[in-house]
Amino acid sequence: MTQILEINNLTKKYYNKVALEDINLSFERGKIYGLMGPNGSGKTTLMKVIIGLHKQTSGSILIDGNPLSYKTKANVSYMPTENFLYDNFKVKDVVKFYEDMYSDFKTEYVLQILKDINVDTEFRVSKLSSGLVGKLKVALALSRDVDIYMLDEPLNGVDVLARDVIMDIIVKSHNENKTFIISSHLVSETEKVLDSVVFLKEGRLELSGDAEELRQQHGLSIENLYKEVYK
Amino acid sequence: MFKIIKYDFLKKYKLLLITIISSVLLNLFLVVKLGVSGSISFLAFFPMAMIFLYIGDIIKMYSDDLNKKSGYMLFMTSNSGYKIIVSKVVTAILEGLSILLLYMIFIIINSIYISTAQGFELNVNIAEVINAVNLVLSGNLGFNLGHVFVFLLTAFVVAINFILTAYTAITIRKSLFSEVKLGGFLSFVIFVGLNWATSFTTGKLTSVVSPYYDNVTNFGNIISATELVMILLPVVILSAIESVIMIIGSGYLLEKKINL
Repeated sequence: MTQILEINNLTKKYYNKVALEDINLSFERGKIYGLMGPNGSGKTTLMKVIIGLHKQTSGSILIDGNPLSYKTKANVSYMPTENFLYDNFKVKDVVKFYEDMYSDFKTEYVLQILKDINVDTEFRVSKLSSGLVGKLKVALALSRDVDIYMLDEPLNGVDVLARDVIMDIIVKSHNENKTFIISSHLVSETEKVLDSVVFLKEGRLELSGDAEELRQQHGLSIENLYKEVYK
Repeated sequence: MFKIIKYDFLKKYKLLLITIISSVLLNLFLVVKLGVSGSISFLAFFPMAMIFLYIGDIIKMYSDDLNKKSGYMLFMTSNSGYKIIVSKVVTAILEGLSILLLYMIFIIINSIYISTAQGFELNVNIAEVINAVNLVLSGNLGFNLGHVFVFLLTAFVVAINFILTAYTAITIRKSLFSEVKLGGFLSFVIFVGLNWATSFTTGKLTSVVSPYYDNVTNFGNIISATELVMILLPVVILSAIESVIMIIGSGYLLEKKINL
């Protein structure tokens, strides 16, 4: 497998607080990564630096061999944990925005997903419940045809039935060329699809590796390993 | 670039629609209530109200993209910082021109109403009007329409310079000073500083380039229209150069240093 994302000596500071400290990681093509850690561990910051919404204090990031720039954004689909969609737009307007802004966007595909997860395209974003906004964000992110997908808490606020649908869509969207990085507090629900895991603790890399190897090494499920690392 | 502009207008089309409808209703109300004086009052009041609303709206448009989470919609796309800043300025210019067009329509409609109400006969010939305006300007004021064109061009370029100064201040605050608290106040301080710097530079350089500049800064002196134009042309050129520098600076910061 080839590397699609390489992070070298990455540090990000806010005021005097260190959000990420000397992170070194590489992500391979075709794998699903779990980005684990409690609130404030640096998961969201790491994703935002990779997509270019935040600028790192030091260190470098290469996406498919290219240093971060506005061009590398074309190869990354990011779903932020916040509701970032234009409030006064209808769902169909947001879909049109993605269609206009991303040449790799698959309109038919997103409309099918929205139908499957019961999101009405005539609804206005401001009128959607947080669960529906969550579903819409996942559908939009997964409907792009890129090499890297970063989903920040994709199951947050989503009902139990829809969680299964979303995990199912992620598995179906995945192939040998696409890399997924998923951050989630719901370790038990994401564990079954993860190839590798990365544990962040207070901005530092605590543990990372192949999910199966970690299970065998520690004799614990990823969920229990999570509890062990952060206890 | 066209797509960024399109979505900026789609985001605010309701606000623009409400502004147009309420302006029409206010005009009607004043005409019905006060007649000719109401119509004149509206024409005097409209630009004063609009200038505040317009400046507030174009600053909010850019500020929201850099300060609210909805800005991710734009900044996650693979558009360069330069394309984003230019698109925002073009949107602001188009919005300004739309308001100007709306005001022109009000002027025409209200002028027709006022003329009719006061018993004047309406027989408008555009060529004659232009000729008449030119005659009045050149006869009494020493101006011609060429001068007027330079004044309008100056106003246009200085307005773009003003918009870019505001946008550059917000960009500096969200990039170089993103970790400093009191963001809004800091943006204002940077804006005042930038405004002073651009005005000072333009004034100093114009006084060097144009021999007439010192005359106009002495309020007692009366200068001719041609002399004024000789002052304004360097102002236009310098403001344009400053605008290009601010576009390059903001574009670079948006691309390399931004923290949303």
